[in-house]
Amino acid sequence: MLEYVLAKYNYWIYVVLMMIGLYAMMGKRNLVKKLIGMNIFQTSIILLFVSMGVKKGGATVPILMGDGHGHGEQIIQVADYLNPLPHVLMLTAIVVSIATTGVALATLILIYKRYHTLEEDEIMAIRKEAAAYKTLGT
Amino acid sequence: MKIWFKWISLIAVIMTGALLIYGTHDMPAWGDPNSPANSHVSPRYILEATKLTATPNIVSAVLADYRSYDTLGESAVIFTASISCLFLLRRIRKEKTSEDK
Amino acid sequence: MSDQLPALIIIAPLLGAFLTPVIGWRYRQFCRPWALMMLAVPVYASIGSLIRVISSGPFGYNLAGWEPPWGIEYRIDHLSALMLVLIAVIGLLATINAKAGISTEMRGKEPHFYTLILLQITGLMGIVITGDLFNIFVFLEISSLSGYGLIAHGEDGAPLATFNYIIIGTIGASFYLLGVGYLYMATGSLNIADLATILPDLYHSQMILVGFAFFTTGIAIKMGLFPLHFWMPDAYTTAPNSVSTLIAPLMTKVVAYLLIRIMFTLFQPEFTISIVPIATILGWLAVVAIIVGGIKALAQTDIKKMVTYIMVAEVGYIVMGISVMNRAGLTGAILHIINDACMIFCLFLVIGAISYKGHGREIYHFQNLNKKMPYTMAAFVIVALSMCGIPPACGFFSKWYLIMGTIAAKQWVFAITLLGSSLVNAVLFFRIIEKAYLAPLGGETHGHDHEEEIIARDEAPASMLIPIFITAAAILILGPLSGKIIAAVIQHAVPAIF
Repeated sequence: MLEYVLAKYNYWIYVVLMMIGLYAMMGKRNLVKKLIGMNIFQTSIILLFVSMGVKKGGATVPILMGDGHGHGEQIIQVADYLNPLPHVLMLTAIVVSIATTGVALATLILIYKRYHTLEEDEIMAIRKEAAAYKTLGT
Repeated sequence: MKIWFKWISLIAVIMTGALLIYGTHDMPAWGDPNSPANSHVSPRYILEATKLTATPNIVSAVLADYRSYDTLGESAVIFTASISCLFLLRRIRKEKTSEDK
Repeated sequence: MSDQLPALIIIAPLLGAFLTPVIGWRYRQFCRPWALMMLAVPVYASIGSLIRVISSGPFGYNLAGWEPPWGIEYRIDHLSALMLVLIAVIGLLATINAKAGISTEMRGKEPHFYTLILLQITGLMGIVITGDLFNIFVFLEISSLSGYGLIAHGEDGAPLATFNYIIIGTIGASFYLLGVGYLYMATGSLNIADLATILPDLYHSQMILVGFAFFTTGIAIKMGLFPLHFWMPDAYTTAPNSVSTLIAPLMTKVVAYLLIRIMFTLFQPEFTISIVPIATILGWLAVVAIIVGGIKALAQTDIKKMVTYIMVAEVGYIVMGISVMNRAGLTGAILHIINDACMIFCLFLVIGAISYKGHGREIYHFQNLNKKMPYTMAAFVIVALSMCGIPPACGFFSKWYLIMGTIAAKQWVFAITLLGSSLVNAVLFFRIIEKAYLAPLGGETHGHDHEEEIIARDEAPASMLIPIFITAAAILILGPLSGKIIAAVIQHAVPAIF
């Protein structure tokens, strides 16, 4: 049992982190909190991916020593280096998450300019009022 | 309405989390050097990358050579985001004010 | 040259996007010809690829010269070549159409607009062309991000709709990424063709089941399948007309393509039929989507919002065709992806033209519009006929196959829903056509002079009319041609087991 937990606890922590982020995205009514939830959510995925590449037993970062031309004097053991692929994927995913956050912040600026609040309930009230005013006007 | 919505999202989140944890059951143990993720595609990167790309850092070799197309997409993502922000936030007022005057 | 055609499909619009701001810096008027030129290249290249696929079968293209499981490859088969042609042509037509819309909706921001349009099309084509799961995610994000930027520039309320779209769209894309992660953990590969050979041994693994569940949920969010559709009407209604014209018909269809790819190429049909109950779930969701989409569309008086709810129902059609899991159904679904893209595109073109001419989008604004904009309204009638499933138009043929598929699967409720939905569409469009063509001129209170003034023709500019004509003609031509399209392309895209 303990062995099972030790083998899996790492993944479970990321799942919990992911649930926190997901709840903030869905349940919170403040737009900035939603955005922060989005960041937590994406970070948890990044951690999950990176933890896939881990190798226990003395593996190190995948940077080879030597002159970089690999003239064969060095024998490479696969088990000595971490899996580089998840790291590569997550470098891209980090960039994607930053880009999404940037665009989301830009829309938040537009929303704030228009409604002067970032609480979803207040915005809804303002919109309802505006819609009622519009139907009165016509 | 608000409370109701929070409960719904809480249930959805717990279901998602439960599904994810259910999926971890037959995952390879954390840090297992012989897991499929560590033994199918990646060994060849570690063994070959330095020789074929003349780069000691394997992550850079994979990022900028084996999967360079992903990196092209990545830079396009950043470019898209920056142009989107410019598109949204930039104010074009010059033409209008000159017309007004 | 022809060996490099697949690379050209992505590189041309991407290069175009990178250079558009540079050109727009000094010479704003050159942005449009440059963008059109860079969009004409993929039209040529994708048609070339389609011809090559038809004559000599599917082919791959290794990027940077690395073999597939290690590097990234393009994989072009019948289905993806067909989708590429669809995206390239609609993208080009939408950009031609955008000229007039920009001058009213986003004056002074032409360089940014054309850059984002080019990136949008690059992203959509990148999803279709690639044979690598993670690469799909990257290009999905390119198309989503440019879409967010373009949509948020719309009318009042667009930024809020976009923010909700960003949140829900990121959940969708992240679920997709989680699916990729679970599959990678189980197999160690990211290449679709490679995964397809490894996966059959692992079909009963919990990891694979969960990965598949997250794939489909993420795709359902991005596609706007029923319970997850709530972002779609708001986002597409508030978007600028020239933007929703491009994004609305393509985004849902490309993601539907992704669903077909994952269900039948990545996973074999044996998995999706016998191991997971995905067909039943998707099928019933599609039924609800068609019913709810129809009812909500009936309740709308704003025609643009009405069309977005019709889109919810149309997504239901496609998913229903996929879910019945037989040859006729899947043929119908693929055919409907193409036909529906044309129909929705034409509807948004018509709405854009009408809005550009200063008419409102409420149904009562359509009064006597046939006198003012006869060509636009003629195209509208063609789309309406196609939507209702009247034979010469293409909508009939895809619906025919869909209904045959549901009957072959003995899903009578599905068949009845499809038939009923055609009736709903007839009601939806006839009430507008009635307003436009049959309503009495002017009304009783107005004098005779006033009538004459109303009748004056006020047609949309040529840059809008040309795409409308081409699309309306395509709707009429695609119908009789569908037999040929199925024989040449679609029958090869349907898995052999069906």
